[in-house]
Amino acid sequence: MIEFRNVSKSYTSGQEAVHDASFIINKGEFAFLVGSSGSGKSTLIKLILKEEEPTSGNIIINGKDITFLKASRVPYLRRSMGIVFQDFRLLPDKTVYENVAFAMHVVRATPKHIRRQVPLVLSQVGLADKAKVYPNELSGGEQQRVALARAIVNNPSMLIADEPTGNLDPNTAWDIMGLLNDINLRGTTVVVATHAKDIVDKMNKRVIRIDQGNIVRDEKGGYDGEI
Amino acid sequence: MKYNSIGYLIGEGFRSVAKQKKMTSASIIIMCATMFIFGAFYLIGENINFIMKQVESQQGMRVIIDENASEDEITNMKSKIREIKGVNQVTFYSKEDALSAVKEQLGDQKDIIAGYDVDNPFPDSYFVTLTDLTLNNEVQEQILKIDGVVEITASNDTISSLATVARGIQMATLGLLVILIIISVFIISYTIKLTVYARRREISIMKYVGATNGFIRGPFVVEGIIIGLVSALITLAIVGVAYNSIVNGILSSSVVQMMGITLYNFSDIFVKLLIVYIVLGTGIGILGSIISMRKYLKV
Repeated sequence: MIEFRNVSKSYTSGQEAVHDASFIINKGEFAFLVGSSGSGKSTLIKLILKEEEPTSGNIIINGKDITFLKASRVPYLRRSMGIVFQDFRLLPDKTVYENVAFAMHVVRATPKHIRRQVPLVLSQVGLADKAKVYPNELSGGEQQRVALARAIVNNPSMLIADEPTGNLDPNTAWDIMGLLNDINLRGTTVVVATHAKDIVDKMNKRVIRIDQGNIVRDEKGGYDGEI
Repeated sequence: MKYNSIGYLIGEGFRSVAKQKKMTSASIIIMCATMFIFGAFYLIGENINFIMKQVESQQGMRVIIDENASEDEITNMKSKIREIKGVNQVTFYSKEDALSAVKEQLGDQKDIIAGYDVDNPFPDSYFVTLTDLTLNNEVQEQILKIDGVVEITASNDTISSLATVARGIQMATLGLLVILIIISVFIISYTIKLTVYARRREISIMKYVGATNGFIRGPFVVEGIIIGLVSALITLAIVGVAYNSIVNGILSSSVVQMMGITLYNFSDIFVKLLIVYIVLGTGIGILGSIISMRKYLKV
């Protein structure tokens, strides 16, 4: 569960990126975060990830107020969320398998658990046969699947995706969205920041729209309004 | 799911060393150079101390004993001198010893003192050597207070100037060592910073999947230790070969042989130097990697 209570964020330059944002994304929900570039979308994501601190207001994640979370506790917060980026962020010198296993090593999983879990997640994203391949031998869509596998391998309670289809062609983008939907159906909260209008329109999920730092719309429907 | 991940971290450290061959060899070369200079100063310092000890043990004072002193008094005197702090050895020289020493010095001309055998004018004396030349004055004061001591003859100027030199050299080596350690830490932290920079992407991903700072630091610290240890062993080998040939050269010179001075063999200080190098290498490696990581852990 993600809750924003009157959250505002101003950067030191004086620019206010988010103004008085309040919303609740419940456990198991699927929500799109839409808005043009510079609207404050990225800042919202950064606030959820605790990469940025809010200037005022409170952020509650899984029932815990993270507004004043100590820096040493941030890693444990991030273990409760899987994160996917537009540019995949895979390690080029590690194989697909190692890239996914890496996320498990980081949380100090046992080797036995890693050997069991990684193939499972790779087959879930349809890459069971590419385990020993390096990222540069994969297509963009396949790379994003690896990133997805890495994000969910530790069974996080929520998945945050920042423009996950931004670098992909429309067909591949749909594959990824389908996977995100599957993950959501298994009970994971999914938050997707995007400006892919056709996808948002067709998925017909909750849409939180931010414009110049203000949340201007929050309802189920398409990119621009109800369908 | 808590699992001790030391094995994984060490593996990653070795992997990184193998992957970043250029970076690693650059670090090792720089580290070897600093450690070589360090080793040179360390060895020079150790040997100077060693020489000073030898010189100190040769330097001493002659304590002249009252002619009327009884044998008991003379024996007591020895134990009293022994008790004084800073005294190394106390050797008794009888009148006869003194006479024969003079005779030996005169050689062919010993006829000059021909009559001395009958009426020996030389006094009994003790030759006192010191453990630390800087205590010279204090020791002399104490000895003069003992009954039966007539006077002390000693080359005070030589002793005090030797003491000053010894102290100066010790301070200089110590100062240099501190400076060199600081320089090494900064050089190594700079080279590891380059490795960290090359892997900043990996670090940021680690932060996003919830790695603690300790976990992220792990492989870099291992890398620092590997670089430190390898450099230590390489430098030790180079220093060993260089040291032995230089020392042999010095010892074979006639001047040094005449002074009766010896230097350490490399095998005498090998263990000491090995420990110093390993502690220094791993210490600098760990410190350097921690310093160079600081900036990148603040995501």
